[in-house]
Amino acid sequence: MKTLSIISVLFLTTSLAFAADKESDFYKITTFETPKETAMEVSSIEILPGDKLALGTRRGEIWTVSNAKGDPSQVKYQLFASGQHEVMGLAWKDGALYETNRYEVAKLTDDDGDGRADTFATMSDQWGVSGDYHEYAFGSRFDKNGDLWVVLCLTGSFSSNIDFRGWAVRIKPDGTMVPTCSGIRSPGGMGFDADGEVYFSDNQGPWRGASTVQHLIPGTFQGHPGGNKWYSKAPNMGSRPPDPKDNSRMVTERERIKELVPPAVYMVHGKIGNSTSFICCDMSKGKFGPFQKQLFVADQSFSNVSRVFLEEVNGVKQGVVFPFLSGFKSGLIGGRMTEDGQLFAGGSDRGWGAKGGKPYCFERVDWTGKVPFEVHEMHAKPDGFELTFTEPVDPVSAADVASYKGREFTYSYRAQYGGPEIADVIPKITSAVVAPDNKSVRLTFDVLTKGHIHELHFDGVKSADGKPVLHPIAYYTLNEIPAK
Amino acid sequence: MLQKYSLFAAALLAVSAAQAQTINIRTIAAQMKYDVEEFTVIPGAEVKLILENGDDLPHNLVIFAAGTDVLAVASKNMEKPEEALKRDWLPDSPAVLAHTKMAGPKTREEVVFKAPTKAGLYPFACTFPGHTQSMQGKMKVGTPGPGLTGLKFAVYNGEWSKLPDFATLKPLREGDIADNLVQLKFDDYKNQFGVVYTGKLDAPRDGEYVFSLAADDGARLLVDGNKVVELDGSHSVAEIKDGKVVLKKGEHDFRLEYFQETGEAQIFVAWRGGDFAATPLSKWVPPTWGGEVKKAKTDGGPKMPLIVGNEPVIYRNFISGAGNRGIGVGYPGGVNLAWSAEQLNLVMVWRGGFIDTARHWVDRGGGAQGPLGYDVFQPVSGLSQPFAVLASTDEEWPRTNKQWADGYKWKGYKLDAKRYPTFVYEWNGVKVSDRYDVVGDTAKGEAKLIRTLKLDGTIPANAYLRLAFGASITPEGGGFLVSNGHFSLEKRDFQNAFRIAADGAQIGGHNLLLPARAEMKITYAWPTDSVK
Repeated sequence: MKTLSIISVLFLTTSLAFAADKESDFYKITTFETPKETAMEVSSIEILPGDKLALGTRRGEIWTVSNAKGDPSQVKYQLFASGQHEVMGLAWKDGALYETNRYEVAKLTDDDGDGRADTFATMSDQWGVSGDYHEYAFGSRFDKNGDLWVVLCLTGSFSSNIDFRGWAVRIKPDGTMVPTCSGIRSPGGMGFDADGEVYFSDNQGPWRGASTVQHLIPGTFQGHPGGNKWYSKAPNMGSRPPDPKDNSRMVTERERIKELVPPAVYMVHGKIGNSTSFICCDMSKGKFGPFQKQLFVADQSFSNVSRVFLEEVNGVKQGVVFPFLSGFKSGLIGGRMTEDGQLFAGGSDRGWGAKGGKPYCFERVDWTGKVPFEVHEMHAKPDGFELTFTEPVDPVSAADVASYKGREFTYSYRAQYGGPEIADVIPKITSAVVAPDNKSVRLTFDVLTKGHIHELHFDGVKSADGKPVLHPIAYYTLNEIPAK
Repeated sequence: MLQKYSLFAAALLAVSAAQAQTINIRTIAAQMKYDVEEFTVIPGAEVKLILENGDDLPHNLVIFAAGTDVLAVASKNMEKPEEALKRDWLPDSPAVLAHTKMAGPKTREEVVFKAPTKAGLYPFACTFPGHTQSMQGKMKVGTPGPGLTGLKFAVYNGEWSKLPDFATLKPLREGDIADNLVQLKFDDYKNQFGVVYTGKLDAPRDGEYVFSLAADDGARLLVDGNKVVELDGSHSVAEIKDGKVVLKKGEHDFRLEYFQETGEAQIFVAWRGGDFAATPLSKWVPPTWGGEVKKAKTDGGPKMPLIVGNEPVIYRNFISGAGNRGIGVGYPGGVNLAWSAEQLNLVMVWRGGFIDTARHWVDRGGGAQGPLGYDVFQPVSGLSQPFAVLASTDEEWPRTNKQWADGYKWKGYKLDAKRYPTFVYEWNGVKVSDRYDVVGDTAKGEAKLIRTLKLDGTIPANAYLRLAFGASITPEGGGFLVSNGHFSLEKRDFQNAFRIAADGAQIGGHNLLLPARAEMKITYAWPTDSVK
């Protein structure tokens, strides 16, 4: 009898409070049925004219999809091409679909208009393939110069057995291949930011303490020296940079190796994800909610999508990752966001398990129209950070330094696989000043650590109407501390 | 087993007991194999043999006299193929003891025959042309083992869903079984009864013995008081369970406990030893019982073959023998090829099944996959560029650059309205297209591969297409018979032999060369077939 009364009191308390917000109140995942005759292991997605999509799969098929915008029961599939050696990149341009498969970029055209590809014209096949399954090739869309980028996985985790494994290359419109960046390990996807800058996601492993999102600047070294012997075949890249020292720090090696670009964001291992994949920039002008021009980065292992806000400090891209949306049905690999603000995503758990639980999936994310209470952007400042919010904050809780908790850590920059979070610094948050419009908060820290990931919890911050932040955690990769 | 009960059905079961042995053999799709390597029958026993043909080619199963060279007998068919065809490829030979009819793709044939009375190994094979080499097995006629002696029964009454402890129960009735075969009699009770059978078994020598048990409902077999095999609970006879026991030479106590709840009732027990064939100890034998059957070793893991329908099927992945940029094409008509986008050349031709994708489509998908079918040949014995300029036809063919053949540029492929690919590339500025068509159908007999190469541009002087490389290239039958020993792919051995014909082809050393011209037509066929 006593137990019973305690339960009813608890029940009353919770039912009087707000029903806690859920991710699905703001972003809804719709799962599509896919044709029974195949396993739709989506590894790339492209948007086609006429509200159609193209799905490339690990089985080497390309399907065109119609009616995917609305009622999922109306979705229609047609097999556009099959028998390709994994389709890890799709780009539509001028009536042709360009696929990146294991050993080439090819231009696929439907010459007779029956909805099936007839011509598979090789554009470039100039990177090496040794026969190792690990040598995946992920292709981008065409960049602002009309080039298509391909990131080439190493032969396994450590080495590069054949030409340009562990490199990013550009394919010029005439098919010429230009070696563009060294230092790639095991990519999971490519994408552009709102300015058309090129990024790829890399996976935790040797020389990568965690998965990352990295800025591909022509001529740079992206951190894994396994493929650097190919500088001999890339005169355009200049001389081979020195290899990083083992068991060092990224921030230290940047001093030594001028070509080394640090990851723009570490996708903190085991917290944000374990295996980063597609990168989509929200160019929907608000149709996907309040996060315009931010990046949405998926994770194969966690079957989730995280949100990345980047800024440039001292000429280096850096920024923050927030959890965004979980609960996808399989390990996400391919994704695209339409200008109408629909995020299409799909993937597979084959060979590498995924939380989603299904062997493969094709799904869509729609914004419900409700704005979640979230940290919108996080900017580095000389002595702390500025947080902006999607809704006005409650000035009392937001101005209370006890509403925040910080931690600074990094990973060893080492040849060994992955690695723990090390070199913890626990900063003191010395002030929290709420802007007059209640939309941003300026935090000052007693210490910032260059090169460290700055983990910030803001569980105590409430919105003006008393809600907690939906995802009260952020991980900011502080490559550079701004002067002002 | 709780099923609709009928007194009539029960009575019928009791009288229909017959000692037939059923052997189920399947063909393994696209592998030219039976799933059974060896089966054992008892001399003179009635054998029902069921052949399930899951393949997309026709197959039969012919049992021959002990010691027959089946390949030689089957090959005799080809001396008068028109007549053999009329017999559905059944050899006209006294060595044939029994046979199924030719089973069409995805069909089933059965034959009932009396097993030979003489112990020995009797080979069986498929006698469809080209199949005999790999589709073979053995029927073993074994001496039956000793039966039970002094068999007694004790019937109990009770309502059980598991075997009771009969030792604590009082039998309702006891008696001898004259024919010494375990059996059920339904004249007293049809439901809710139990029987304990006791008798003696004489093990011919020291060694391991295997007992097989099937029962509806539960049963337990004990030898010398030790449990050997048990199928307790209420169930049907679907399962035949084996149990092993090591016995000394001489007499042993046999005890079989059985109970029937409701519905159907059956009991089956058999034994086999090192020197005698599986021998039933019961009157009733399950229709699915095959005695002792050795399953053929098949490649493990799941099978995900690509099925070729009305259109060619393309498969680009790591194909054994075709380099790292191989393109497999399975054509209607059961002819398949692998083409290299590194060498820009035809690498391999085979017939039968196209390719199994499981290696690549299960788990991470590492490694190269070989052809699924059979009769694989490699026209130029490996990876090599198609064209070269030679100072003389005796000159050695240039060594190839492994990743990208020197002077060549891969341009992709184009599918026509029927989805037949034409591969396109450039060789020193000459545009080349390379296309294949299949004439005939391997499932119906002969099939040929016709290759058409077209060159657009200035063809250099003394440019040759290498058609074939072989230790032996013999002009024969309007073309050439090429033989270049053996090669192996994934532990499968293939004889590299084929026929080839092209106007103007000439032998130069170990090469068969064709002077390059604007259009070239080449016919490939298997040695048993004709290029004409």
